[in-house]
Amino acid sequence: MEHTEPHSTEPEMANRQGAAQRPNGAQGKICQFKLVLLGESAVGKSSLVLRFVKGQFHEYQESTIGAAFLTQTVCLDDTTVKFEIWDTAGQERYHSLAPMYYRGAQAAIVVYDITNQDTFGRAKTWVKELQRQASPTIVIALAGNKQDLANKRMVEYEEAQTYAEENGLLFMETSAKTALNVNDIFLAIAKKLPKYDQNQGQSGQGQGRRLAEGDQGAKTPGNCCK
Amino acid sequence: MAQTMYSKIDEYGFERPANFDYEVHAEFMGKYMHILVRRAQRWSTLKGKNKFTRSSKLKRFIRKGIPLDFRASVWLQVSGAQKLKEDSVWNYSDLKKKITNPSLIDIIKIDLPRTFPDNINFIGQEQLTGQMFNVLAAFAHQNSEVGYCQGLNYITGMLLLATRNEEASFWLLKVLVEKILPKYSVTNMSGLLIDLDVLDDLVRKLDVDIHKHIHKIGMPWAMVTTKWFICLFTEVLPTETVFRIWDCIFYEGSKIIFRVGLTLIKLHKAEILRTKELSELITCFKEMRNHKDIIDCHQFMIHIFQIPGRITDSDLKNLRTKYSKAQNQR
Repeated sequence: MEHTEPHSTEPEMANRQGAAQRPNGAQGKICQFKLVLLGESAVGKSSLVLRFVKGQFHEYQESTIGAAFLTQTVCLDDTTVKFEIWDTAGQERYHSLAPMYYRGAQAAIVVYDITNQDTFGRAKTWVKELQRQASPTIVIALAGNKQDLANKRMVEYEEAQTYAEENGLLFMETSAKTALNVNDIFLAIAKKLPKYDQNQGQSGQGQGRRLAEGDQGAKTPGNCCK
Repeated sequence: MAQTMYSKIDEYGFERPANFDYEVHAEFMGKYMHILVRRAQRWSTLKGKNKFTRSSKLKRFIRKGIPLDFRASVWLQVSGAQKLKEDSVWNYSDLKKKITNPSLIDIIKIDLPRTFPDNINFIGQEQLTGQMFNVLAAFAHQNSEVGYCQGLNYITGMLLLATRNEEASFWLLKVLVEKILPKYSVTNMSGLLIDLDVLDDLVRKLDVDIHKHIHKIGMPWAMVTTKWFICLFTEVLPTETVFRIWDCIFYEGSKIIFRVGLTLIKLHKAEILRTKELSELITCFKEMRNHKDIIDCHQFMIHIFQIPGRITDSDLKNLRTKYSKAQNQR
């Protein structure tokens, strides 16, 4: 398994990769995707986003009420992928609000806590719901978070991997605390998303919106292609 | 309060936001200190056994802000929490002894260190977090329809900061959730879903341009307003503004939430219409707390009774009935 640097505080991983792969002035596609995070309360959804977007980790992350929204950009070859990340509340009763968040999402990360078997069960429920209700082309990744607490593990790696394979999901164990696989899981999703050049104009379902070059997020600090 | 004007921590122990405008705040506080002194004098003229019973005079006083020293007792009186306590067949300390449900204890304990981790009164302070646990667990134990709902931790934390009294906080939480607010916190959050539709309706009536723009960008109201309903603006607006809002909620009820929400939206009309995409719109809502008309909580509390126009209890009741039917048909 690929490891990113533990305790990395560098936020612009996209910058590093992008600079290497896309010299200034190179022509490339820019795609924007909506990604939603789902999973039981306190499994680390907001922490994964905070690590990915800002390179930070808080031991005690406030519980998310409603939904949070952040953006981050990654570069893949000649394509800039801008994620619009919708981070949701985990407690079961907030479930009734979830459909308005995953509606139209092209990607989802379903998160569980490897030290808590119940959260894995809940993750499976989310996957089922997405398969039934979300866009049929949605790319789903399963993240077994809190890998830094592997000594308290209650969900075996193989068990989750088998489940992911059976359901066609991307799968990684992650740690928002040490940064393990956090960038990687987003990159893996970016690779799997269809990045068509949309000259026809009409945006197809499950397909990133192609942005006009001038439209690219000057406001996004992580934008790699400036 | 004067010495905290330029402090990075507000008078209730919360860290101020990174982009906090100290100049605007200092200017406001210079003015507000006089108002607070004046209000404290006016409140001290209220005399007699029935000084906090409901009356148009008391309502007017409350809209202008309850002084800190009176806040807990006024909230208890005017909200009906005191009556709830007196009429109850059990008392709070007996109730606490009955907290045994292990799964409930676990979910509440997970949220304790996650509640106000930036507030110096809570981080590592066992006394307040212990009290918060007691209030939340006792409440959940006696109300199985609600149990524990994330968000109640923030309300309880704020109640403890305002009253510095565990038992008062319990009865105030109970009266809020069970009498004052609709069914926001129950297991299907039905009251929240209805009020999100009611808000959408009221925004459309208040300003059709704003309504159109929000829908064009495609922001679900729930995204930014769930905290309005569930946490009653905690951590959405500056702490002093939140307590001023709560003063009115305890007296006048949940329609105050709509008054505040609509005022926030209307005051930011230009900024909202300027946004071109979802991230900008969300940032606009997040930044509202730094607007000088909102930092000036005294003026803001005048605005909320003017800007949204007339909203009566029966208007609200009719809208809730309408959207409750719509929810059932979905």
